[in-house]
Amino acid sequence: MIDLHEILTFNSSPFMYLVLALMAVPLFSFFTTGLFGKKAPLWASFLLLLNTGLAVYLLLTNIHAELQNFRGQWFQLGNISITLNIMVDELMLIMSVIVNFISLLVHVFSMEYMKHDKRLSLYYRYLGLFTFSMMGIVLFYDLLLMFVFWELVGLSSFLLIGFWFEKKSASLAANKAFIMNRIGDAGFITGLMILFTQFQSFDLEAIKTLMLLSEIEDGNWIVHFMNNGEQVFNSIDGRWLSAAGIALFCGAVGKSAQFPLQIWLPDAMEGPTPVSALIHAATMVAAGVFMLARIFVILDAQALEVVAIVGAVTAFMAAIAALSQFDIKKVLAYSTISQLGYMVLAMGIGAYSAGLFHLITHAFFKAGLFLSAGIIIHQLHALEDKDVSFDPQDMRVMGGLRKHMPKTFFAFLFCALALAGLPGFSGFLSKDAILLNLSAWTDHKGGGFYIPEVLAFATVIFTAFYTFRMIFLVFFGEFRLPSLIQDAKLKALPKDGNAKLMVPALLLGALSLSLWFGFTLEAEGSWLYHLIETPVFLVPVSYAATSLIDIPERYFEALHTIIPAVSIGFAFIGFVLAYLAYKPGAKLEKAFVNRREPVGPLGQISFYHWYQDSLYTKIILPFILLLSRCLAWFDAQIIDRFLDGLAKLAVVLGHVTKWFDKYFVDGLVNLTATTSGKVGQLTRSIQSGKVQTFVVMSFVFLLLILLLLMF
Amino acid sequence: MAHLLSFIVFIPLVGGLLVLLTPKTYEYLYKVVTLSSLGLTLLLSIYLVAGFDTGLQEAINTEQQLQFAEKADWFSFSLGSLGEISVDYFLGVDGINVTMLVLAALVLFIGAISSWNIKKHQKGYFGLYLLLSTSVLGCFVALDFFLFYLFFEFMLLPMYFLIGIWGGPRKEYAAIKFFLYTLVGSVFILIVMIGLYNSVYDPLKTAEAANLSVSGMNTEQIIEAVQQQVESGAIAKEDLVKSFNMLHMANDANYIPGSFLDKAGLSTVFGQPARWIAFLALLIGFAIKLPSFPFHTWLPDAHVEAPTPISVVLAGILLKIGGYGIIRTAYAMFPDGAYHYAWLIGFVGIFSIIYGAMNALAQKDLKKLIAYSSVSHMGFVLLGLSAMTVEGISGAMYQMFSHGLISAMLFLLVGVLYDRTHDRMIENYGGLASQLPKFTVFVTIAFFASLGLPGFSGFVAELTVFIGAFKSEATNGAIPFWMPIVGTLGLILGAGYYLWTLQRMFMGKFWVKDKHWLSTLKDLELREYIMLVPLVALTLLFGIYPALLFDLINASVISFVDHISPLAK
Repeated sequence: MIDLHEILTFNSSPFMYLVLALMAVPLFSFFTTGLFGKKAPLWASFLLLLNTGLAVYLLLTNIHAELQNFRGQWFQLGNISITLNIMVDELMLIMSVIVNFISLLVHVFSMEYMKHDKRLSLYYRYLGLFTFSMMGIVLFYDLLLMFVFWELVGLSSFLLIGFWFEKKSASLAANKAFIMNRIGDAGFITGLMILFTQFQSFDLEAIKTLMLLSEIEDGNWIVHFMNNGEQVFNSIDGRWLSAAGIALFCGAVGKSAQFPLQIWLPDAMEGPTPVSALIHAATMVAAGVFMLARIFVILDAQALEVVAIVGAVTAFMAAIAALSQFDIKKVLAYSTISQLGYMVLAMGIGAYSAGLFHLITHAFFKAGLFLSAGIIIHQLHALEDKDVSFDPQDMRVMGGLRKHMPKTFFAFLFCALALAGLPGFSGFLSKDAILLNLSAWTDHKGGGFYIPEVLAFATVIFTAFYTFRMIFLVFFGEFRLPSLIQDAKLKALPKDGNAKLMVPALLLGALSLSLWFGFTLEAEGSWLYHLIETPVFLVPVSYAATSLIDIPERYFEALHTIIPAVSIGFAFIGFVLAYLAYKPGAKLEKAFVNRREPVGPLGQISFYHWYQDSLYTKIILPFILLLSRCLAWFDAQIIDRFLDGLAKLAVVLGHVTKWFDKYFVDGLVNLTATTSGKVGQLTRSIQSGKVQTFVVMSFVFLLLILLLLMF
Repeated sequence: MAHLLSFIVFIPLVGGLLVLLTPKTYEYLYKVVTLSSLGLTLLLSIYLVAGFDTGLQEAINTEQQLQFAEKADWFSFSLGSLGEISVDYFLGVDGINVTMLVLAALVLFIGAISSWNIKKHQKGYFGLYLLLSTSVLGCFVALDFFLFYLFFEFMLLPMYFLIGIWGGPRKEYAAIKFFLYTLVGSVFILIVMIGLYNSVYDPLKTAEAANLSVSGMNTEQIIEAVQQQVESGAIAKEDLVKSFNMLHMANDANYIPGSFLDKAGLSTVFGQPARWIAFLALLIGFAIKLPSFPFHTWLPDAHVEAPTPISVVLAGILLKIGGYGIIRTAYAMFPDGAYHYAWLIGFVGIFSIIYGAMNALAQKDLKKLIAYSSVSHMGFVLLGLSAMTVEGISGAMYQMFSHGLISAMLFLLVGVLYDRTHDRMIENYGGLASQLPKFTVFVTIAFFASLGLPGFSGFVAELTVFIGAFKSEATNGAIPFWMPIVGTLGLILGAGYYLWTLQRMFMGKFWVKDKHWLSTLKDLELREYIMLVPLVALTLLFGIYPALLFDLINASVISFVDHISPLAK
């Protein structure tokens, strides 16, 4: 029988310190950046450059090497050893390059974007804290440690969303983000409880090994192993196996902004735009998907179905919401939620490689979109002065920027085309992979499982629609701001930013081309897609989902040509619709400028994101606050009063028993009373009269009880 | 060092006497004496921990598992046919109280620094504070129930006056309320103590009294021989030397056959086995101190009225005596009762977690909010204990330690604000972050530590409680699976009330209700840093490196769980 102790062997090597440096450098940046004053951005960026270099080096040297891991003990809990485990695998190597690279670009971008901020060095420190925490999630192959850093990225996200805390909306958004994440994390902790109870470890390697050994017998989930020479036999209801997966998934629902916790992400746009690019588009929000990838093999069929449905519903709902927003960052935020929905859906249907592939391509093009939008916002904001004030994020003030900001236009366009899923751009490849697998999954599953497919394909149209709507409204037609500010005159026209702004955006725009991922029109042709291999499910057979690998090839054959065609066709439909509605001079484009909010029930549902926010802020939250006030009233008026009343009663009773004691208690009691007398002497000298009464009372009680005991 | 524990416990008392003897003209010496005696206590307790053997694994109810033990006959006399009363001066530490001792020494020291601003009746204040220190420290290390009870009761007096004289506007009400509640609790404890005393004998002293021939036998053999003879009735009742020794009380074999609380459990009270009722009485007695729902209402009042250092001590250590008492007496002595009432305890635990958090959400007074958050956090202690698993008990102990640090920090921070404005209403402040950036940093750290952010000690504690509680149904069946799952609601609500407070008081544009505060609202000063920085560092240290604490308690907790849950195996 396998001993847990043998799985959890401790090992380390000098190489480990190199890997740990990936975390140590940003942490060092967090601690030291404050010392550099005005040079803080340079110092932090320099450290991040080092770290990115290190990540790239590790990727290049280890990508095809054997898996390595480093393990040590964190602490001992009773007889159980709680370990730390770092795994150097492809996923970790690729993710650390992406996180560090985008973080570096954001560091550079922020030098210009944030240069007038009075808390500039604090901002860079927070970026360091974020990068450190994010690297923790990436490095640790251990659910507990992953959770630790999971919450720490939540903290950095909280701090950065609320960075401009003087704005009430910013601090409210920060709270909302943290609390929504906490709701998910309560689920994550529940998952940890279940797995720990069953396997006595949080180490993913141990969990996976023991999961493979566990069995389902008579509906019970059984595992039998040794821990430190001691036999362990755990058996709990088999439903906890599904529950564990779903509970852990709750964590991803919070972090990756999935239905029904996704409402924090649009509000999170209150943070500085570079932060939105880094945390709320490219890396942190993808951590949920990354976590799903880490626990992928221990998810059972039921849990995966839940994952798939939640993903599809989220993708669809958010795409609808993105259709009618005015705020450019809101469009991008909803789009992020929608794309994350795709990734989660991919995980749910077992398309592990496709989901991660989309995570990677999305990280680049969405960060690019945010940075480009950031340039626009920054440059428009520069036009504001005491006479002219407007919302630089509102697309109603934009228009025609293609002529004024050509470089920004191209950066934005490339990323946007990747988002819309046009061939030749990275998003097309990864989305194609997801849709292909989804179709095969649907055909294989049958029954009601066509719903995710319908939602996912509808989302393709909507995605193309809102993407092109955004492009038309921002870059085509006439620059609308001058006509909106009436009397005041603009001091200048907007123009492209300087190199610190442009280089990161253009770089990300270039990375949105599909050629980096392979000269191909199919995901199958991409080297990256092949690099990330879909692992095999380890849950007991009767609970396991059908792996996509096991789905007969015939389900896929026809799809290889149909799906890309359909996907391109749908994207084209979206484009045509957007063109008809929002091309310069079109009916909707004109109406849009003067509208305060969309009209009609559908427009309203879209604009208010299915009224989900209202449900929370107008019904659930007031209900909780009301309940808390009721409980506070109950506490003060009922419980406290009741106990006070009891105390008064006790005083009365005390007098009665004192009287009883004086006249009825016999000699035997007096004998015992000498004992209490001794004690009394010790304390008497210090006591005031009032206190003494109570001490006397307590001894009267004692005597009564003594009598009770003896007779 | 011989008598190390006695030194730790009584140095503050000596300091207190010095304070009393120092004439008022040398008033500045009071603080010096207080600080140096508590500093010495802290140093000695750290020295003690450094010498604590973490590998010692002995049964929890034997004296072999004790370290730094001191035992001497204190007094004894005959009660005729009732046998003989024998009270020992018996101190010792094991994994269960060693952490509490250090925590107490630390928090008392920090409380002393925090007392710097006390102007009124300094002699009385510092004298009482040092008296309180001795009784608190004594309470954690006394292993004779009589001695323990004495320390336990003694705590009330200084506390009563410290709140009643140096407190806020409704200090008299709060002081008497605190006093009454705790006193009711002690009556429950006293009842059981008497019952226990009537049922438990000391095997070694009995051997002496009964003139057993013990030549050539070692202690363990003597104990075994006596226990056998008592079992068979060979030793006369008159010869039984009854015992207040808490370790003897935790051993079934030391219960006199046929006595009120003997292991057979034949006696009944209100139709329930007497042992269960005794357990319940101890539980209630200490739960009042903890405090747990529904006995918690004294806490917010006491905190609101108490001066800052007393709040710090109250939340930091006094509450822990409740938790410690439950472990040391109720659970150790009546594990059968603990198992029988596990469901109830677990339920009260999660109820306290959620109820405390919901109440905190509704509070308008910052100090009351933190008081209710204490109720919520102490619920974790009950939840962990009710599980009767190694993880659960360890988690409960970790939570007590961690909450001691974090609540001390929180109350100090409230004190910082109160010192400056004499107002604690949340609604009267806004955007403090711009005016008091450093203070805000510490508040943010304390809030996040308290809401259980990983990296801080509270997280380790809560996680351990949760996994321990969940493990229960799968291993010993003490509490059901759903309890810890429902308990996770506490995590969400905790984030809710802390972040909402942070947002209302510290975020947004700077605004205060009273213009006069503008001049008094200064950022942290050196003395405040000296108190806060070590606490922050320690919460971080115990959050990042939990082995520091777990290594101290692991061996004892394992023995403890072996002792209390034969069913768990």
